[in-house]
Amino acid sequence: MAFYDRMMSIDRRIIFLSIGLAVALPVIWPLGIPVQVSEESRSFYREIEKLKEGDVILLSIDYEGDVMAEVDPMSVAVMKHAFSKNLKVVALTTYAGGTGIAERILNEAARNYGKTYGEDYAFLGYNPDWSGTILRLGESFRATYPTDQHGRVTGEIPLMKRVETYRDISLIVSISGSGLSEYWAIWAGGRYGVKVISGNTAIQAILIYPYYQAHQILGFLGGLKGAAEYEVLIKQPALATKGMDAQSAAHGLMVVFIIVGNVGFFLARRAHRRARAQGENA
Amino acid sequence: MLIQFFTPNPLFLNIYNVFLDWKQVVLGFTYILGTWSLIRYHTRKIQRKQENWQYSYVALTGLVMTVGAAAIWKTATGPYPWLFDYVQVPMQSTMFSLLAFFVASASYRAFRARTLHATLLLVAGCIVMLGRVPIGSYIAGDIFGVHISLVEISDWILNVPNLAAKRGIMIGVGLGMTATAIKIVLGIEQTYLGKTD
Amino acid sequence: MVAGAVAALTPRSVGASTAPQPKVSDTPNDWGTCLTITWTPAPAADSVSGYEIWRATAEGSGAAPEPMPSQGWEKIKQVAATDTSLVDSGLRHGQRYAYTVVAIAPGGRAASSPTQPLAPKRQWIIRDRVNILISVLAFVLTVLALVEWARRGAKLFIRRIAGLEAVEEAVGRATEMGRPILYVPGLDPMDEVATVAAVDILGQVAKKAGEYETKLVVPNRDPIVMAVAQQVVRESYSAVGKPHLYREENIFYVTYSQFGFAAAVAGIMLRERPAANFFIGHFYAEALVLAETGNTTGAIQIAGTDSDAQLPFFITSCDYTLIGEELYAGAVYLSRQPLMLGALKSQDYAKVLLIAAMIGGVVLSAVNPELALKIRAFFR
Repeated sequence: MAFYDRMMSIDRRIIFLSIGLAVALPVIWPLGIPVQVSEESRSFYREIEKLKEGDVILLSIDYEGDVMAEVDPMSVAVMKHAFSKNLKVVALTTYAGGTGIAERILNEAARNYGKTYGEDYAFLGYNPDWSGTILRLGESFRATYPTDQHGRVTGEIPLMKRVETYRDISLIVSISGSGLSEYWAIWAGGRYGVKVISGNTAIQAILIYPYYQAHQILGFLGGLKGAAEYEVLIKQPALATKGMDAQSAAHGLMVVFIIVGNVGFFLARRAHRRARAQGENA
Repeated sequence: MLIQFFTPNPLFLNIYNVFLDWKQVVLGFTYILGTWSLIRYHTRKIQRKQENWQYSYVALTGLVMTVGAAAIWKTATGPYPWLFDYVQVPMQSTMFSLLAFFVASASYRAFRARTLHATLLLVAGCIVMLGRVPIGSYIAGDIFGVHISLVEISDWILNVPNLAAKRGIMIGVGLGMTATAIKIVLGIEQTYLGKTD
Repeated sequence: MVAGAVAALTPRSVGASTAPQPKVSDTPNDWGTCLTITWTPAPAADSVSGYEIWRATAEGSGAAPEPMPSQGWEKIKQVAATDTSLVDSGLRHGQRYAYTVVAIAPGGRAASSPTQPLAPKRQWIIRDRVNILISVLAFVLTVLALVEWARRGAKLFIRRIAGLEAVEEAVGRATEMGRPILYVPGLDPMDEVATVAAVDILGQVAKKAGEYETKLVVPNRDPIVMAVAQQVVRESYSAVGKPHLYREENIFYVTYSQFGFAAAVAGIMLRERPAANFFIGHFYAEALVLAETGNTTGAIQIAGTDSDAQLPFFITSCDYTLIGEELYAGAVYLSRQPLMLGALKSQDYAKVLLIAAMIGGVVLSAVNPELALKIRAFFR
């Protein structure tokens, strides 16, 4: 097999192993590439930053364990930002696996900032009907969630006494591993006029651009890089920032493979053309 | 349901809320249906000793253990959160992380400059891949006195051609969804009832 | 509680112009439960640090409530000094309410006189959504007209869609190789349009599979979709005279977990080695896992999704891909039912109208920007 054919048909196991090393090695030996902040992340940060003490945000943890590595840092950073500004947080999840994630994030943030459940934050829990939930919350929080995650009557929670519909919410923050942020923007934002910002996986973030341009979503974080940018803005670098070196290495390696494959492709095409021309002349 | 979107009449709003409540109830029952289907499928596989029937024991054991742990020790403490944190989450994360490897092999295989369209796809893909990571911020330079950075080109690709294509597909999909919904309401479309003609 | 708060509130004028002059009006396009209170801000010299908004109910159609600090007033919100309006929501339709705005300054507090009581009104129609109503009505009429036209025997043209033309080839390939067909109807529940379209196409594929007597495997993420898929496949087999070939265990529920489902289907592909894979419906991140795994087995793959995030993955890994609304056209294309064809064509006409509107808007903006802005304002 000619070398250019080898360039075009690298065994996928070699590709998998190389990607694995490209991701793992920078985690062990960080490269320290600084993160530049994009306008979308800055807009996300600004929407929370301009809220006043005591304002209530609705945090929707719309993901499970699969995309946790990518979007969990966003939720953690949002809680740090919110509690550092003494905002009130009402959290919910539209994924069954999101309850454990939400509990962990909320409890950890509450511990670090000395916040009290029921006064400073509440977790309404999981509702399997995500579309009904987004729509129904506009009519009544208590009807949608008669009790919170811990079985306490929603109307008896001090924070929830002042939160009845979307009008009592200053901002919706949807951290999502799927397209749910779009539905928050269309149904909650479009129908009830509440402001929405979102944090999404990198692949979903590409779909958020139309909503961001149309000001239906006022700011968004795209993937682990978006999370890292937000950590830079709140001046608390954490997991996302650490992951940037690995991501840079992996993307760079993919581009190298693509270039290698194309170089092989062009060399092979040239060789075949030459062979054909020689065959015709003979 | 449609009328209440346009008129703030309490009658339609109440009907709408009733439907939303019933939707939640029905959804809850579908989980029972799904669990029953799962148990029936695997028990039949074990009874008939179909191929790989042994794995059905694993599936059923997992189901019983998880439900049992939640029922006995509740979900806040005990084995349930442990199962979630150390079994469920790692398994889900592992499956999702396969995408990194598959993206690499799919890109390597598919991004070949065979035609003009393929070349455009290849170039745009590489620019966006590098522009979306910190290293891309440092790939910049002056061409004919104009400062160009990879991040700016990447942002342009995402904000202009990507957005245009996405909007076009969104409009088409939106019209398709509306037409299908009208067909269902008019009774032209009956597949959801299991009818094929 | 209210009495104590009110007693502390002896209004003192901290500046002649400090006491705000509020006005109350009905909030448009609400559900008849909101009123909007607006007031002029105090001069900067008065150093007002914020405003309190108080509310009292007026009984029947009688006189306005007594001004503060009398009984009956309830503080509803405190806002910043820069705010000049507040929407009070959650009110009772038909009940009259009066408001007082109190300015808070270092020198004391100044309360306005109460506004005239007003009851929130319900509009007949939400003005902001009239543009949507017009668009929806226009589209519905287009659909009805085309369906009627098709019912009367009009010949409606649909362009060739390569992915749908390849269905017969894919089923035939599976039959020749003696291997099954795998059909994944997406991950969304039955109330999503993409899933309705996927089950539609499943019916057509099942008919061909029944004709050729090829095994059809349909794993499902949703139990209701599974139930509908079973019914559709059973009917399809009956329609081609092969009801005895229907096997319920081939159409089964796997798990609701997204990647658990992907792992299960990937396992089926690696073990059973289907010769033809159909990925039709709405997919999420697992799309690439499915498509790449199927690619390694050498199966012919036909994908169709309205999920634009996953389209690139299907396009790189599958032989044919139905993009966006081509998915909705799928069953119509395969069955050529006149009524469905009419509904499909209506989308084309609607698109022509939209494109014409876009071009017209661009031209009008250049020729007569003021008129363009007025039209834009109406359609916002």
